[in-house]
Amino acid sequence: MFELNFVWNGHSILFLILAVCIISGAVFMLHFSKIIHMVVSLAFTFIGLAGVYVLLEAEFVATVQILVYAGAISILMIFGIMMTKHDQLEESPRIQWKGILAGVGCLALFGAIFFAIRSTSFPSIPAVGPLAEDNTLELGKQIFTAHVIPFELLSVLLTVAFIGAIVVAKHDAEEKEVAGSATREEAE
Amino acid sequence: MNELIQQTLTWQNGLIFLGWAIVFLFIVLGFVTYAIYFERKVIGWMQFRHGPTRVGPLGLLQSVADVLKLLIKEDTIPQKADRTLFILAPIITFVPAFAVLAVIPYTPSLYFADLNVGLLYYAALSSLSTIGIILGGWASNNKYSLIGGMRSAAQMISYEIPLVISVVGVVMLSGGLSLRRIVEGQGSNFWEWNLLPQIIGFVVFMIAAVSELNRTPFDLPEAESELVAGYHVEYSGFRFAFFMLAEYVYVFAIASLTTVLFLGGWHPPLAILDFIPGLLWFMLKFVCVVFFLFWLRATMPRIRVDQLMSFGWKVLLPLALINIFVTAAYIELVVK
Repeated sequence: MFELNFVWNGHSILFLILAVCIISGAVFMLHFSKIIHMVVSLAFTFIGLAGVYVLLEAEFVATVQILVYAGAISILMIFGIMMTKHDQLEESPRIQWKGILAGVGCLALFGAIFFAIRSTSFPSIPAVGPLAEDNTLELGKQIFTAHVIPFELLSVLLTVAFIGAIVVAKHDAEEKEVAGSATREEAE
Repeated sequence: MNELIQQTLTWQNGLIFLGWAIVFLFIVLGFVTYAIYFERKVIGWMQFRHGPTRVGPLGLLQSVADVLKLLIKEDTIPQKADRTLFILAPIITFVPAFAVLAVIPYTPSLYFADLNVGLLYYAALSSLSTIGIILGGWASNNKYSLIGGMRSAAQMISYEIPLVISVVGVVMLSGGLSLRRIVEGQGSNFWEWNLLPQIIGFVVFMIAAVSELNRTPFDLPEAESELVAGYHVEYSGFRFAFFMLAEYVYVFAIASLTTVLFLGGWHPPLAILDFIPGLLWFMLKFVCVVFFLFWLRATMPRIRVDQLMSFGWKVLLPLALINIFVTAAYIELVVK
C-alpha cells in the first residue's frame, strides 16, 4: 500500500505546483482575519482548480471555472462585503484543546482518504477519443441531445430564482418609498 | 509555432518559450508606447493642436520620457491603505491582460496557442482584471477610488454579457470557438468576412468592447471631472504605470480580437490583393480599429451612469439576442 512510484515529468511537477496553490489558497482563506483577503485567496484557489482542469484536458470546464467562479463569484462576494458591514475582524477565542482535536480529526481524515485511494484499483478506461480531443463539441452534443430536459429544467429554475430576486428587491424598495412618502405627508 | 509547443518540455524548450514570451512582451510594450503617442497626436490634430512635439524628432520620444518619469518616481503607499492588496492589485490587473494575447492568431503560422476554447478563454481571463481594479479601488482607502472601482466592476460585468453574446453569431457561422478556425472560415474578399453577415453583432461588439476598455464615452470609472482619476487615484510611479499598461494592452487585445472575429484576420479585402503578406493585412486592420477607438475618444462626450446601465441591458443585450436568432434562422434556412 505504501509503495509510491512517482514519475517526475512536466505533468506531475505542474500538478504539484497547482496543488500547493489550491491548498495554500484554501488554508489562507481560513487563516486570514480580514474578509476581503479571504475572498482573494479563495479566488486563488479557484484559479488553481482551473489549472487542474487544464491538466485533465477539460479546457471548457477550466475556462468556465475561471469565468464563473474566479471572475463572477469573487466579484459578487467583494460587492457583498462592500455593501455590508466589513470593518470588523473575525476574532475567535483560541482554545488549546480545540487545536489538538482538529489535528486529530485532520489526521483521521487523511488516513481514511489515503486508505480509500490506495486500496482502490483504477480500471484502465479505454480511450474515449473524441471526448478528449474536442470536448467542447462533445459536451454541447451531450447537453442538447441526451440531457436536454434536465438542462431546460435547470434554466427554468434559474429564471424563476432570478425573477424571484427581482420581486423581493422591488418589494423592499416600494415599502421604503411608501414609508418615505408617509413621513413626508406627516411633515406637511 | 505549433510544432514547437507540442514538443516535450525540456529545459531548452522551456527557455525558448520564455524567450518568445519576452520578445512578445517587448513588442507589446513598444505598441503601448507608440499607441499613447499616436493617441495624443491624433486627438491633438482633431482639436487643432499639435500634440507632443518637444522630446525627440516630432515628439517621438515623449512616451519614452513619460515612462522613464513614472519608473523613477517615488512609490507612495497611503498610510491607511491595505498594503498587501494595494501592491497586489496592479499585478492582478496586468497579468490577465497579457495572458489573453496568447490565443490570438496573427498569420496562419504566427500564433502562440491554438486553443480549442480560444474565445471563451479570452472572455474568462479578461473578467479577472476586474478583480484587480476593484481591489485597487478598495485597498486605496479613498472614496473616489472606491466609487471608481465599483463603477468599473458594475460596468464591466454588465457589458461583458452583450460582448460575449454578440460573438455567438460568429461562433455559429464558423462552428468552433478556436480563433484560428474562425479566421480560416472567412474568405479572401471583404464580403466573405464576418463583418457584413454579422453587422448587428459587430456593432454590439464594438460598443461593448469600448465599454470593457473603460474608454470614452464609457470612461465613467475614471471620470476626471467627477472622481479625480477613479480607481487609481492613490497610485503613483510604476504601480500606476502597470494600470495604464494593462489598459493599453487591452486596447491591443480588443483591436486584435475585432480583426480576427469580424475583419477577416490575415485575409486580404479582395482576392487579387493576395500577394501582400497576411501579417501586413492584419496590422493594417488592427491599426484601423485602434484609430477608430482614438477617434471615438476625441469626438464623444461621456454618458451618464444610469444611461450607461440601461443602454447595456435594454438595448445591447436584446440586440445581441436578436442577432443570435437571425443567425440561427439563416443557418437553418439557407445553409442547411
